[in-house]
Amino acid sequence: MHKLLNQKPVVLVMTALLLLGLFLLPILVTSPTLMQIFILVILYAYFTSTWNFVGGFAGVLPLGHSAFVGIGAYTSTVLLQTYGLSPWFGMLAGGLLAALVGVIIGLPTLKLRGAYFALATIAVGEGIRVLVENVKEIGPFKINGPSGISIGLSENSFTALQFDTKAPYYYIILIMLILVLLLTYFMMNSKIGYYLAAGGEEPEAAEALGIKVSRYKVIAMAISCFLTALGGTFYAQLILYFYPKSILGLDMSYEIAFIALIGGRGTILGPILGALLLRPVSELTRIYIGDMLPGLHLVIFGLILIIVMRYYPKGLVEPVTHILNKYVIRRFSKTDDLKTNSAADKAD
Amino acid sequence: MPLLEVTNVTKKFSGLVAVNQVSMTVESGQIVGVIGPNGAGKTTLFNCIAGALPPTSGSIMFNGREVAGKKPYEICKLGITRTFQAVKPFGSKTVLYNTMVGAFAQTKHLHEAEHNALEVLKFLHLDHKKDIVSKSLTLPERKKLELARALATKPKLLLLDEVMAGLRPSEVTDMLPIIRKINEAGVTIVIVEHIMQAIMNLSEKIYVVNFGKKIAEGVPHDVVANEEVIKAYLGDEYVATQH
Repeated sequence: MHKLLNQKPVVLVMTALLLLGLFLLPILVTSPTLMQIFILVILYAYFTSTWNFVGGFAGVLPLGHSAFVGIGAYTSTVLLQTYGLSPWFGMLAGGLLAALVGVIIGLPTLKLRGAYFALATIAVGEGIRVLVENVKEIGPFKINGPSGISIGLSENSFTALQFDTKAPYYYIILIMLILVLLLTYFMMNSKIGYYLAAGGEEPEAAEALGIKVSRYKVIAMAISCFLTALGGTFYAQLILYFYPKSILGLDMSYEIAFIALIGGRGTILGPILGALLLRPVSELTRIYIGDMLPGLHLVIFGLILIIVMRYYPKGLVEPVTHILNKYVIRRFSKTDDLKTNSAADKAD
Repeated sequence: MPLLEVTNVTKKFSGLVAVNQVSMTVESGQIVGVIGPNGAGKTTLFNCIAGALPPTSGSIMFNGREVAGKKPYEICKLGITRTFQAVKPFGSKTVLYNTMVGAFAQTKHLHEAEHNALEVLKFLHLDHKKDIVSKSLTLPERKKLELARALATKPKLLLLDEVMAGLRPSEVTDMLPIIRKINEAGVTIVIVEHIMQAIMNLSEKIYVVNFGKKIAEGVPHDVVANEEVIKAYLGDEYVATQH
């Protein structure tokens, strides 16, 4: 923990201000449409951060993560509708189920390298979507095939995870994102993080150094799928109506991967930058030209990806941290260093 | 009891016999060399010992335990670590990060791993480069990093696969005392090498392989005088001119 707080004071101040701003945002923004966009930006940053555990650190490119969003959404919803269980409980159940499915898929596929793993995840993701589209019910659970499920309105409460206003949703997903980012930070600075990075980059060398690469990749996959599904439940409760194409489709899987690649894979800041840039694009194209050209946002993403990869192959996180370092952190640190030194002296 | 005892190890790749009934013994504390022309099967033999390839038949005893057919990560945990002929650094990571990956074999705590890794880097005089991203290192530095990472796992036996290949003669001269120093610190070493100067200088005992078979073994001085070895390296006609 001390290492986390052991940053330059200007970084701590900036982070504190950013957090304060984020927590005050719902008070300043009253438009529900705008709030919805903010919520979706954070939700996609969350999905991409959870994707990052496999896609960023384990060195493979999963392109079927909407399957786990869908598992989270469907599990909590059917548990709510069949047994009246709180979505919070359903969220946990969905997470565990997603982790299990993730491990089952990961055991054979994580041994594949590069494009082969990516193709396998597309196949599995699409397979799950087609399966759900063709099944009306599983045992006592009604999933209604292609027409999807709508969640009935209930009272405005935390237990029911339904609210009249956007602000509670915003706070919940914001806190979920912060927790996932903290988890990411601790993982990056632990044995698992080092082993994942090593196994992702040079599997042969990693094995020679005593790392059972496949085991660590499967652990990463389980964590990633579990956390992604928690977001899936949140998403279901936010939109209250979903169908296989909307929540299990490739669109969402691709968007998550696009955000990660454009923002910066395997970094903490990358998913946030990517989501900030891409989410508004897809919302705005959907609102204004969605009827004429559905899927235009993916074309725009592709263009942005080509441009970003051409100049910053590590993602936007590269120029952004460079600029922050050069113009903000260094400029303010000169004076701050003196202050911290004297402060540290006093503390000793 | 020898530290490593390889008995009649054979490795076949669908018809091609890369290693044919090779036996060798390594005592604790020794530096043992394995030489042979290109394609002789040296690296394949290494891969069998390190677990990268399972041998087709034969036994490999390490410290009294059968290790033939075990996975590389299991063998590393038992105390054998290898370096690669074509160096494989974790390119996007720093020298320290690379070495810490090795050090995590002995601990799960970040600080302890960092401490141990720094010690290894100091031992190899690489500590001034600790924050350099490993893909921007020079070749001799990468070779040293390969050593550092392997040493950080605290092996009993270190398998060095051509650590000096591609180095300039002056760089080879720098590398020799480092390898000797590692050995003096208590690590047994098996070294595959093309550079005769290096291997003659370092090894107590040398095994010569050609076409997958062991053709000679003994102290360096005897091995170079061996007819089979001269034939293997220089061709039949040179044997006569020697005498």
